Amino acid sequence: MEGNGGNGGRVYVGNLDKSAKRAKQLVMGKLRMGKAVDWATAFSLWPVHLTTSCCGCEFAATWSPRFDAEQHGALPWVGARQTNMILIEGTVTKKMACAVRVTWEQMPSPKFAIAMGACAIDGGIFYNSYNIVRPWEIIPVDVYIPGCPPRPEAVARAIIELQRKIRKQRVASKWIEEGWRPDREYVKPKEDPCSWWRG
Amino acid sequence: MSLDQARRIVEEALSGIEYRVDEGKGFIEFIVAKENLVEAASRLKKAGFDHVKSLTVVDYKAEDKFKIVYHASSYLNEDLAKVIVGIGTEVPRSNPKVPTLVYVWRSVEFQEREVFEFFGIEFEDHPDLRLLLLAPQVAEKKPLRKDFIVKEEPIIRTKPPTG
Ligand code: SF4
Repeated sequence: MEGNGGNGGRVYVGNLDKSAKRAKQLVMGKLRMGKAVDWATAFSLWPVHLTTSCCGCEFAATWSPRFDAEQHGALPWVGARQTNMILIEGTVTKKMACAVRVTWEQMPSPKFAIAMGACAIDGGIFYNSYNIVRPWEIIPVDVYIPGCPPRPEAVARAIIELQRKIRKQRVASKWIEEGWRPDREYVKPKEDPCSWWRG
Repeated sequence: MSLDQARRIVEEALSGIEYRVDEGKGFIEFIVAKENLVEAASRLKKAGFDHVKSLTVVDYKAEDKFKIVYHASSYLNEDLAKVIVGIGTEVPRSNPKVPTLVYVWRSVEFQEREVFEFFGIEFEDHPDLRLLLLAPQVAEKKPLRKDFIVKEEPIIRTKPPTG
């Protein structure tokens, strides 16, 4: 097709889904890049900046020079679309649950979740409260970290645990092959966490 | 400035307005009628109490009333800055409406919004009475009232969490 600039620019039209599928077959099949995918994913787990509660302070300390979680290849990043890990820091209130779910939906797969703190496991000091949501009700959680708040070492340990899980169970490469991770049901919230917002 | 002196200043400022004094260990509250609240507050402001530190509500369910207390103090007057005085009013639980003090003390604006969502107390003439922290479904239960009861959850789960 001639471009209307007159200098012969070209536009290629094709079926993107088909080409993507073919590229996937090539990479995962003939080139056997699965292992590399797992390895690369494990060492580039970028958590998104989404601070739901007070555990966020320890999250900050984890990436401070003293504990330096960046040595594990994890770098907190601002945009949800450039990250592949969500670290839920403590309590998730009913209103915040919407933000967590929306952020999770925006992240490109393969993506992983770590729940940090007693609150994220089963409510913690806010057990039996009228305004909290358990994170495992809204997104699929891979690793839980107990503590109130957990020490930065524990957070680093959780990242290493997640890396081990990805490489041992080959989660990332299978996820790409099959479209969804093999070891996990898709978590769909029972009630819409954003109903208060949509009105 | 001793506490007695501070008390005298408040009493002087409130002269002519009927009030009741609620006193306990370490605190003092002047309770006026709902109609006199704005007048009492502006007189306190003239006396030097230039801001509100906190706004609180006590739900007396048996006596069927809410006690609303504004804790006022001072930034500019160094003597008054050492004391906090409570000024408040009481309203029946069936009709929880009070005049707003936003136009007297600007710092109560958000606190009144918070009280509005947690207790369902309406502040008349408030410029922006919207929900602040809670989602509407939670706010309509008025969670800090005494008759809101949280359903007890079992401590031990019989089923492990899924997901
Ligand atoms: S676990 Fe403790 S530190 Fe973490 S969010 Fe809950 S209360 Fe805060």
